[in-house]
Amino acid sequence: MLSVKDVVKSFNSGDRTIKPVNGVSFSLEQGTFAAILGKSGSGKSTLLSLLGALDKATSGDVVVDDVNLSTLPDRKLTAYRRDDIGFVFQQYNLIPNLSARENVMLPMEFAGVSRSERTKRAAELLNQVELTEEMHGRLANRLSGGMQQRVAIARALANNPKLILADEPTGNLDDETGELIIALLRQLAHEKKTTILVVTHDQALASQTDRQFRLARGKITEDH
Amino acid sequence: MGVVSRSVGNAFRNKVRSGAVVVILAVAIGLALAMLVANQAVGAKVDSLKASVGNNLTVNPAGSRGGLGGGNPLTTADATKAATVAHLVSVNGTLSVRLSNAAATSGSTGTGTGSSSGDRGGPGGGFGSSGTTSLKSAVDPGVLGQRNNSNGSSSDATGGTTGSTTTRPAFTIPIQATGVSTSTTATGTAINVTGGAQLTDFAASSTQALVGSTLATKNSLKVGSTFTIQDRTMKVTGIFDAGDAFDNNGIYLPLAATQTLTSQAGQLSSLNVVVDTIENVSATQASLTTALGADKVDVTAGSTNLESAITSLGSVQSISLIAFIASLVTAGLIVLLIMIMVVRERRREIGVLKAIGASNRTIGVQFVLEAMVLVVLGTVVGGVVAAFSSNPIVSALVAGNTASTSSAAGPVRGAGGGFGGGGGGGGFTRTRGAFAGADQLIGTISTSIGWQTLVLGVVGILVIAAIGALIPALLTAKVRPIEVLRGE
Repeated sequence: MLSVKDVVKSFNSGDRTIKPVNGVSFSLEQGTFAAILGKSGSGKSTLLSLLGALDKATSGDVVVDDVNLSTLPDRKLTAYRRDDIGFVFQQYNLIPNLSARENVMLPMEFAGVSRSERTKRAAELLNQVELTEEMHGRLANRLSGGMQQRVAIARALANNPKLILADEPTGNLDDETGELIIALLRQLAHEKKTTILVVTHDQALASQTDRQFRLARGKITEDH
Repeated sequence: MGVVSRSVGNAFRNKVRSGAVVVILAVAIGLALAMLVANQAVGAKVDSLKASVGNNLTVNPAGSRGGLGGGNPLTTADATKAATVAHLVSVNGTLSVRLSNAAATSGSTGTGTGSSSGDRGGPGGGFGSSGTTSLKSAVDPGVLGQRNNSNGSSSDATGGTTGSTTTRPAFTIPIQATGVSTSTTATGTAINVTGGAQLTDFAASSTQALVGSTLATKNSLKVGSTFTIQDRTMKVTGIFDAGDAFDNNGIYLPLAATQTLTSQAGQLSSLNVVVDTIENVSATQASLTTALGADKVDVTAGSTNLESAITSLGSVQSISLIAFIASLVTAGLIVLLIMIMVVRERRREIGVLKAIGASNRTIGVQFVLEAMVLVVLGTVVGGVVAAFSSNPIVSALVAGNTASTSSAAGPVRGAGGGFGGGGGGGGFTRTRGAFAGADQLIGTISTSIGWQTLVLGVVGILVIAAIGALIPALLTAKVRPIEVLRGE
């Protein structure tokens, strides 16, 4: 359960105050596949960084399973990102000199999972995102875009997060590959009861989700 | 994939750059190690120089040196007075006398033994001798011996052989006998007894004697053998090896016995004084001269050249220490700058690691380890560089810093040559030591990498590297996870 209450994020730019997120409130049930749509500069990425504890809100509350992120100290935020959140980025953001398997093992290593357990689970996850065995040991920068995004999704799932935040996950992919990734995310949301929030400007992607929100000038509205 | 293997992998992500960094680090670290080795080698040499020559002063009667010159002998009262001077560790009086061969003396002069004044100036080895002995010199007179030992004959009233060298009986070089009150030489070093035992009975009636190795061979003496000095039968308690032909042609006797035998009661030919530290040598030299009277004694410090040798080595030591620290700091700066560059380059990746749950500590450790990989490689290559370069570097440093000292010592050494013929006397070894140039004192400094040097070097490098790597690692903590969302 994710609930966002009247969240504001403001920056000072010269003598002006910019509010890319200005009083956003919504909530998502566990296992929901949702999309936030918006144009470039509408505050999508800022909102995502607040939800993923990458940044702190100026005011308002982000509550994940009764835990208010706004009040957590930095050390707890690190643990929250590690245990409760999975990120999927437009640029994939894999560590290029590590293999697909090692990339997936990384969050588990930070969580203190034993080496054998990590290896086993990484193989399972990579199989789950339909990456063939021979690709598991390949360096991340030697994989195609679609494969990298699959590895990124497997990495996001590594510590069984409650929430997966995806920033333009299909932005760098062709339509066909993009659809495969969307299907994968929807399947995960329904099978594993993982809340997935996708930020996109891609109407086709958004139409596949359970709920769609629209962000414009820092305000959010839900499409029905 | 642990943090260690990840760090090692990261160190080689950019092979060209890492290679270049390792080479530069190797040069800096190699230089640092070479300087450390130089520092230690020179330090060890300074210690051994101080230990070998010691903090000694020699007091001779004014105008007299060994068997040459004139003036009045020192007395035991002088020794007592000298002992009251500050900074002295010990005062040892010695009496050096020359004993002519009894057979040669009687053959040429026809006089009996026992009258030391009668021997003075006598031909056939009687020059300056204080008594007679049954021992025959192991050194042949040669040209120097002829020159030094026959100059009194022309003025000698009893000399009937002047002008007829062919008929003059062959003389032998007088034997140098040194009366000592402890088991040390006139210069304060221990007598190197190779067979038998040191002197133990220092009474006036003692019959103990130590005989030089070549002298013993010449006279077929063994430990326990006997010979005579004046009319006393002496017993060989030990054979010593002083390391040179002149000294090995001498004997050591108990001081009191020497004074009695040669009728020089209470007289000393030189005092050997040990000063507490080498720094106090000059001051003590001055105060000793004042205490005993400048017109009565000559106080010589054998360490004048030693001091300049130690000073020049000391400057080498401090130069090498500064260079060691400078090279280490350079190595640290290289690590620092490279790692700052790496951190800036990987801001986004650090953001990713933070976004997926890495703590600041994990990331910091990873970057420190990455720096350490470069440092360890640089150290290994630098160690090889140091192994080949430390000896030439030390030689160059020492040569460069002692050049002025050796040229200053040059003329003095020339003057020292004039003493060669005279030889003898309490201060002879000291005299030669004093006129050897600083460069000779320094000799060769061999470098070797001991484990202490190695440990010190490695610890120094690691500390510098850790500091160099720590700052960039702390910078990673400042990278915010939101970097991950920033575009390229």
